[in-house]
Amino acid sequence: MTTDNLGPVRLEVILSILTAIAEEMGIVLRRTARSTTVREMADFSTGIFDAQGRNVAQNVSSPMALTLAPCLEQVLADHLPPDHWEDGDVVLLNDPYCGSQHLPDILTFRAVFVGGERVGFVGVMAHHVDVGGGAPGSYDLSAREIFAEGLRIPPVRIRRRGVLVDDLLSLVLQNVRQRETVRGDLLAQIACLEIGARGLGELCAKLGRETVQAAASRLIARSQAAMEEAIRALPDLSVSFDDFLDDDGIGGPPIRVAVDLTVLGDRLVLDFSRSGLQVPAPINCTRNVLQASVHYCIAAVLGTDIPINSGCFLPVEVRATRGLVVNAEPPAPVVNRMTVAHRIVTATMGALAAVLPDRIPASYYGVSYVYMVETVEHDGARRIYFDSEVGGWGGEPGKDGANAFSCGLHNIAAVPVEMLERLYPIRFRRYALRPGSGGEGMHRGGVGLIREWELLAASGTFAATFDRFVYPPFGVQGGGCGAGGRLTVVRDGVETSLGSKISKLPLFVGDIVRIETSGGGGFGEPGARDPAAIAFDLDEGYVSNPPMGSAAATVNLG
Amino acid sequence: MKAGPERAVRIGVDIGGTFTDLQVLDEVSGQTWEFKVQTTPHDYAEGLAIGLKEASAAVGFDFGSARLVVHGTTIATNAVLQRRFPPCALVTTQGFEDVIEIGRHMRRQVYGLYAEDRPLLIPRSRRFGVPERIAADGSVIEPLDEEAVRGVGRTLRRQGIGTAAVCLLHAYRAPAHERRIAELLREECGPIDISVSSDVSPEIREYERVSTTVLSALLLQTVREYMASLELRLEQMGLHGRLLIIQSNGGACGLRRAGEHPASLLLSGPCGGALGVERIAARTGIADMVGMDMGGTSLDVSVVVDGRATIVAQGMIDGLPVRLPMVDVQTVGTGGGSIAYVDRTGRLRVGPASAGAVPGPACYAHGGTDPTVTDANVVLGRLDPNGFAGGRIRLDRILAEQAVESAVALPLGLSLEAAAEGIITVAVADMRRAVLRSLSERGLDPASFCLAAFGGAAGLHAVLVAEQAGLRQVIFPRSASTLSAYGFLSSDVRHDLSRTVMLAAEPGSLAPLAAVLRELRAEGEALLERDGMGPALRVFEFLIDCRYAGQGSELAVPVTRAELELTTIDAVRHDFDDVHRRHFAHADPGAPVEFVTVRLRAIGRVPRPREQSVGTAEAPRPPGLRRVFLADCWHELQVLNRASLIGRSAVAGPFILEEPYSTVLVPAGWEVTTATSGDILTQRVA
Repeated sequence: MTTDNLGPVRLEVILSILTAIAEEMGIVLRRTARSTTVREMADFSTGIFDAQGRNVAQNVSSPMALTLAPCLEQVLADHLPPDHWEDGDVVLLNDPYCGSQHLPDILTFRAVFVGGERVGFVGVMAHHVDVGGGAPGSYDLSAREIFAEGLRIPPVRIRRRGVLVDDLLSLVLQNVRQRETVRGDLLAQIACLEIGARGLGELCAKLGRETVQAAASRLIARSQAAMEEAIRALPDLSVSFDDFLDDDGIGGPPIRVAVDLTVLGDRLVLDFSRSGLQVPAPINCTRNVLQASVHYCIAAVLGTDIPINSGCFLPVEVRATRGLVVNAEPPAPVVNRMTVAHRIVTATMGALAAVLPDRIPASYYGVSYVYMVETVEHDGARRIYFDSEVGGWGGEPGKDGANAFSCGLHNIAAVPVEMLERLYPIRFRRYALRPGSGGEGMHRGGVGLIREWELLAASGTFAATFDRFVYPPFGVQGGGCGAGGRLTVVRDGVETSLGSKISKLPLFVGDIVRIETSGGGGFGEPGARDPAAIAFDLDEGYVSNPPMGSAAATVNLG
Repeated sequence: MKAGPERAVRIGVDIGGTFTDLQVLDEVSGQTWEFKVQTTPHDYAEGLAIGLKEASAAVGFDFGSARLVVHGTTIATNAVLQRRFPPCALVTTQGFEDVIEIGRHMRRQVYGLYAEDRPLLIPRSRRFGVPERIAADGSVIEPLDEEAVRGVGRTLRRQGIGTAAVCLLHAYRAPAHERRIAELLREECGPIDISVSSDVSPEIREYERVSTTVLSALLLQTVREYMASLELRLEQMGLHGRLLIIQSNGGACGLRRAGEHPASLLLSGPCGGALGVERIAARTGIADMVGMDMGGTSLDVSVVVDGRATIVAQGMIDGLPVRLPMVDVQTVGTGGGSIAYVDRTGRLRVGPASAGAVPGPACYAHGGTDPTVTDANVVLGRLDPNGFAGGRIRLDRILAEQAVESAVALPLGLSLEAAAEGIITVAVADMRRAVLRSLSERGLDPASFCLAAFGGAAGLHAVLVAEQAGLRQVIFPRSASTLSAYGFLSSDVRHDLSRTVMLAAEPGSLAPLAAVLRELRAEGEALLERDGMGPALRVFEFLIDCRYAGQGSELAVPVTRAELELTTIDAVRHDFDDVHRRHFAHADPGAPVEFVTVRLRAIGRVPRPREQSVGTAEAPRPPGLRRVFLADCWHELQVLNRASLIGRSAVAGPFILEEPYSTVLVPAGWEVTTATSGDILTQRVA
């Protein structure tokens, strides 16, 4: 094959076909999986890799799903070198310390062979409904070690040369709640690897293995070059940014998440080594989560038009010493890793705001607002209501932050109130915007939400992992902070304010739980706000008087 | 043969952005004719009237003999896209006024640094919460505060707001509060346009219901006025036959119903093509087809399985959910006017930005300088600059070459021809993905589907797309450029009614289920009666949306037993297992099942006359030779027309087929195998 065969047109067509293969894997998984997490919440991702295991194409619906590529890299480097894979082998793992993000995320990989030669890998990550551990859904907010969080699987072959290893499957299924659902999802996940293997195999058979491999190298090099060019356009400088979590939820002090960012020619170095030590609460991030969070920021800021593959992030070095909340070591628990991951994003964006003052929005709400209620009725019937919420976006250079909209690492759909009331013994009293919660600024932060419900069951237990009650979303370029979140329980007309993290709070019939989520920070000096926008906010009730957010903690790095 | 004045004719009219298409069918002889006139955006009814006059003169019928005019309109769609709305208020349960703004709060752009715009149809100051509360089981927890509603009514009157939407929590279960609110508002405000959620979309999930209801309210006035002006104009022309309007579900309805339920017209535009494909499937006997409608700005993909267009329970317009059944049409931004460019990473991309009609492709010579798919086709000799759009638009080849050269060939270091062919190749790869996505979402095998190509730009790309996507047959239907209007000719009247019931699939649910079925049926009978559909023409199809307890979405299961003698719940349950297996490859026969929503399709059959052949107002283009660039080199290709193919057994590609409004490219490796009834079927050779 001559290089003429890989002109820009051919390359574009090959990229389109590879992307379509990743897309088809996702469509088939969604059609054949059993759980609502995969089918309706689309909590999965698929990827295509070259013969060395470098990512060339992917299909993701959530930014946190940028996990397959670093995981395969880690598996090939530390556990199973490429030459040890045989045709038909499928490797499975969920250990966050081997490349997963938390135990419910199970990853599977398969090597693809054509004519006896390895031509690439295909991979699938799916969030499973349960992998055992101390609480349903494997979200045990009281876990002190990863051992309490469920079954921990290192890279193992679940299929050898095309034959499923039944013993291993039994071992896994014996350890999970909702055995049939997990079984169905797992088999669907393994089966959809075949769709990818067939697609990649056919492409290699049609164009030649060398052509496809050369195209993969070219695509990866092109994304790398584009990213290097984007970095070169930034001024060479070093900036630092510290953001904080309120606490670890078990009595610990605020936790620092700090980044020292250096732009050096066509390279970016982000060092998180000044961050706090890991904690015995399930909010720690493993290295893979740190990388995925930083990669999300880089993709959003520098490369929305750069095809994402292993090349994009080669010019970006992410450093952190071990044993930190951002780069934890075993046995730190990790299931609610998003708590710290959001802060990795807000800190990184805060640092980037000093590099690109005209482009970076103020901080978004930065919390997943995960909460869980176990309800117990008079007859002893138990149900588990699990939910999460969003808040406001930070003010943007060109417009106000969006009100109550998924942002940053977060991308979730609200479950209808009417559905929740059908399914659980709760009744909603309010689902509304939270006026005044957006940070002041030339472009104000988006407002957060108020979600308020009453327990109808005899009793219940409430657990929540929130944050940003103490350290609210910051403004940039002179903008004010958004209002911090609040959690309130009303019993017999008496209101009690709670902290941001609750592991087991008893509730009784008639208790009202009110969740108020953060607004986003503001962008630019409040004095520069268009008077018409001020009048509009007053008329339409988006602001309160006096404003909720304080201007005191404003961060201005411009 | 001309239809005499005494002949009964049926007319299909599709008003598009540029052209108004008409098809005339002689109900006795089965003959059809097609016409195209310019669309008149200032008053769409005017273009329609011009088209009707032209058709009547050419075919030779008088308006008195027109039995039926079936009309597809984008009036509702355009009103939404252009935000032409009257001031409107929203009345909700107190505490839930902001649901319309909060939505489901999931973003589409995963890596977007800035929030995508979300349309805000009702400003916060016009959302009114009233004290009242209905529980999930339909019981009243808090009675309606009527004085508060009257207060809202007085505010609306003071502010001169003449339109309102009403959507209360759980109103799909208990509509009494919503109805009372409508009464009270009318008492306080006099004549006011009101849409009530329990009428418009009586289904569970408050955001989708309020969105649909608000859109309905906002469109009431616009659609009603359009229907009135249309009726008046046709009356004045002496056209006393029945006028039917096409809805998004692919069925037609009368003018009054359209005026009362305008949200049902929102996505009717692209469904005409899918209806046309249904008809092609019927007349050719090829039951499984993918419709590929490629126009100037986009590609619409529809799927016909077993002769029927696939329907979805909900669609979107401009990012807003519309929860009404509609023909499933997936749109991607690849059309003749899609702009090709080289991005900063050196990728050759095509679309979704489009040169539109103004300035249009560079070769239109209206000031456009960006190269488009159409420009690439001109450079490659595949489009005849003198024969575009029936010769109505003359194309400038030099301008096309300059655009492709400067924006694509130079930056990529390619020859002019390689750049132009590259643009087509990349556009074809994008279209291939769209076709494969529509099929794999339903678990369908591309090799067993036939691609039906229509719309001005489809002919030059359809076989290339089929080849890349693994389809082995492509059909170029006769009258491809007026296919939507043709589809309308044989559309039935259809009303989709629904009611959320939330019942467990167990014997005790039989009585309440039967009661709802009876109610829906009575409603359906009344609607068909009003559309003039006699009892003999009525068909009722019942479906129940089922799910396993705990699932977040449902699947519709047809209820095949006589609807009011539903003897066994088990049968529906069992059918649900089958449907679930078909869609998701597995079932859970032991798990408890819930009946979420009951649906009725009330259909009024419009008799389908035998068809014969087609007449066209355009003269066929003479055959000849043309220099065409294909697969890396120039060829002298034969240029044929449709007439010259009919009756011949097999003509092997490569050749060009010139149609009045489009050009078809048949490359090597494909041949025309049959050309009966005016349709041309191309097949992959071996």
